[in-house]
Amino acid sequence: MITKQLLEQIEGEASVYFDIQNEKVAFATVSFPHFRGMESILEGKNALDSLVITPRVCGICGHAHLMATVRALENAYKNGGYEINLTQKSQKIREFTLLMEMIQNHFKWLYMVIIPELSKLTTLNLENRPLKGAFAASIAAKAIALFGGQWPHSSYMVPGGVTADPTHIELLQAQNYLQELIMFFEKESLGFSLETFLSFESCKEFGGFDSDIVSLEAALMDAQMHQKGFAYDRFFVMGEHGFSKVAKVKSTRTFGVESKYITTQAAYAPQAQSFAKNALYKNAYYETGPLARLMAKGRPFVKNMHRRYKDSAYSRVMARVYEIASMLSYVQNLLKDIEITQDSVTPLVDIKKISAEGVGVVEAPRGPLVHRVKIEDGIIKKYEIITPTQFNIGSSSLEKPTPVQMAMQGLSKEDALFIFRTFDVCSVCTTH
Amino acid sequence: MNDYSFNVEKEWAMADKIEGVKKLFTSNSARVETNRGEEFYENLFETCQSRIEELKSLTPPKNRVDIDEFLEVQGVNRRDFMKWASAVTGMLMLPASFTPLVADAALLMNRAPVIWIELSDCAGNTEAILRSEGPKIDEILLDVISLEFNETIMAAAGYQAEAQLEDAIETFKDKYLLFVEGAVPMGIDGYYGTIGAEAETMHDHLQRVAKHAAAIVAVGSCATFGGVPAAAPNPTGAVGVMDVIKGKPLINIPACPANPANMVGVIIQYILTGQIPELDSLLRPKFAFGYRIHDNCERRAHFDAGEFVEEWGDEGAKNNFCLYKVGCKGPMTFNNCSIVKYNDGVNWPVGVGRGCIGCSEPDFWDKYAYERPMANAHIKAPTGGVEKSVDEFGLGLLTAAGIGIGIHAVASAVAGKKEEVGE
Repeated sequence: MITKQLLEQIEGEASVYFDIQNEKVAFATVSFPHFRGMESILEGKNALDSLVITPRVCGICGHAHLMATVRALENAYKNGGYEINLTQKSQKIREFTLLMEMIQNHFKWLYMVIIPELSKLTTLNLENRPLKGAFAASIAAKAIALFGGQWPHSSYMVPGGVTADPTHIELLQAQNYLQELIMFFEKESLGFSLETFLSFESCKEFGGFDSDIVSLEAALMDAQMHQKGFAYDRFFVMGEHGFSKVAKVKSTRTFGVESKYITTQAAYAPQAQSFAKNALYKNAYYETGPLARLMAKGRPFVKNMHRRYKDSAYSRVMARVYEIASMLSYVQNLLKDIEITQDSVTPLVDIKKISAEGVGVVEAPRGPLVHRVKIEDGIIKKYEIITPTQFNIGSSSLEKPTPVQMAMQGLSKEDALFIFRTFDVCSVCTTH
Repeated sequence: MNDYSFNVEKEWAMADKIEGVKKLFTSNSARVETNRGEEFYENLFETCQSRIEELKSLTPPKNRVDIDEFLEVQGVNRRDFMKWASAVTGMLMLPASFTPLVADAALLMNRAPVIWIELSDCAGNTEAILRSEGPKIDEILLDVISLEFNETIMAAAGYQAEAQLEDAIETFKDKYLLFVEGAVPMGIDGYYGTIGAEAETMHDHLQRVAKHAAAIVAVGSCATFGGVPAAAPNPTGAVGVMDVIKGKPLINIPACPANPANMVGVIIQYILTGQIPELDSLLRPKFAFGYRIHDNCERRAHFDAGEFVEEWGDEGAKNNFCLYKVGCKGPMTFNNCSIVKYNDGVNWPVGVGRGCIGCSEPDFWDKYAYERPMANAHIKAPTGGVEKSVDEFGLGLLTAAGIGIGIHAVASAVAGKKEEVGE
């Protein structure tokens, strides 16, 4: 018997169709019932228009789309024969805003989705204060607005650099917001300092502390999440940044990857119309996101966790929490030596002179985001957007399940729904 | 001989165009009447006061928090709260004497139930209002406002959520404010977007939930005028709420995303007066959309002095010159971004050196939102009944291709820079 379960709070809506046998999920398929047609809207437009259009694919990760677009355009310039040299200043500012978006996303997911959902599955006391997440996210958004103009939907990147020309005042303000955010994280979420957290090599070192994160870890254990939610134990990172390592990870060994091997296919959803696609690398399914990124980097805290609990739901959740900390620390250093006297933009020829293809890849909060553009005389002929949720939350048949499908098998429906959310789903991105 | 007469005609035509542009940029802007006389405000004060008394007598729905207590618990002192109330009073274009009423109204926000539905959207407006902070007031209000249903932030899901929606509609029948985010896709019988267990199309969902709303607030460019899904070629047949719902009081708060300050302002206004605010002919509240970005822009002095950014990253850019020549649509866009800004006043697009894309105007994705100044593109005239103040620079300017940018801009053109025509 197939039952349908609707899920909201995933930046849109999805329907999960469960085939339940003996009170366990034998298999599940996923469908996304909405569509806007962004790729066809981009066709025929001047290439620079994509800078304002693609952020509107998503309300929570729009900034990642902006960066993927600008990278795709710069790649097209390069393939058209024009070398692009970004100043260190513009690269750092871009990375700063991208990371702040990632941080605000993780805060929101943790406090508004994961903690409330987990508190239903455990008898342990897990304090439910969703507005903590909103508050933390609002500080991060303000830091982005300093350089991006507004959040969501900033559009301050152009091929060759950024339009913003910050002074020391903006840098000071950014550092101020960052400090406020770190202090909030330490006081309200961690119960210990950021440095302490980053020095831990495993969750065993939580012993004796009392805080949201410590309670979260205990609740995950209590709900047996370290033994549930396994997928392929195969990870994939594609966006090239100071904070990431581009690689695929199979049983803790890393290998090289190239974006040309990423393909998509229509999602398999026999019960309903789905506008989503599945994304594959060399025809196989990989998991993406914080766990993937931290495994590729080989962070001891995550590696030790993975050794014990593989790619369980526990690992997935704790990895995302750990990533907040590691990103906050990274961003602190990033702000330190921005040389504001450098140019914001290195001038380029008019985009009308470009007829080429370009690919832009960034690490969005949920994994690699790929934009592929084909430009002719500065006009977009074709635009393809592949989002990380297409990697994680594909829907396929029983013979070859996607990561989320594998993770949900063999569990009770309540557990399966929680597992679904541990992947941090962005529904509007999946269908655009 | 022919050359001479041709030149004269050309000169006259050019003179006309220059006149048109001059008119555009120097026309009086503010169409909002900010002083309606003592009697008007006295009457309004009385109406608001009795409305506040009426609301005070209502018990707050279910387990809503009492904001007075909440403020105390949160450690927000009364002075900060009154400062905020005074800022909102100013934004709503009311005299300072209304500040205590606005403060009262805010304390009573939990008496005004709000249902918030999302259609064909990106959730940007929900995300924007969630980040609204300052100083801790809006966050508190989010806690206290009777937000009965919002798909992106509510805890319930699936059938539980459906039940909660039905419950809210029944309990607050004919009293709730319905916020709508996202466009209505009409293509393939509406099946480009379905919601809920019965796969109700977004169109039907909207009709059903709107039926017993006291008023509807369309939030964001998509819900107001179709937004990005409606950009050419409009693959899903997306339209705004006003094209689908008739016979209900409707307020449009466009922009992409809409400014959370404006959303809160509309709610406060509704509480104060029990009515919707004064609207322009595109149903946008005049307190926010009665004037252009250009009228209050921090770079206006540069425009007036003929100082423009010619190319990204040039000397002008480093000196915060006017962004008109790199595509700013501020002169044609009605909104209060240049005053209120975004993310609790931290910044706004022009502040980081990129021009306004006109996102509070209908069809801006096809008309305005590109990186070239308007003068260099073939633009069709805006259609439909737009208000006189928008018309001022409507048809005359927007139909012709190859129009000169205007006296200021011409004088500043970089020597030898070729002006390319059209797209």
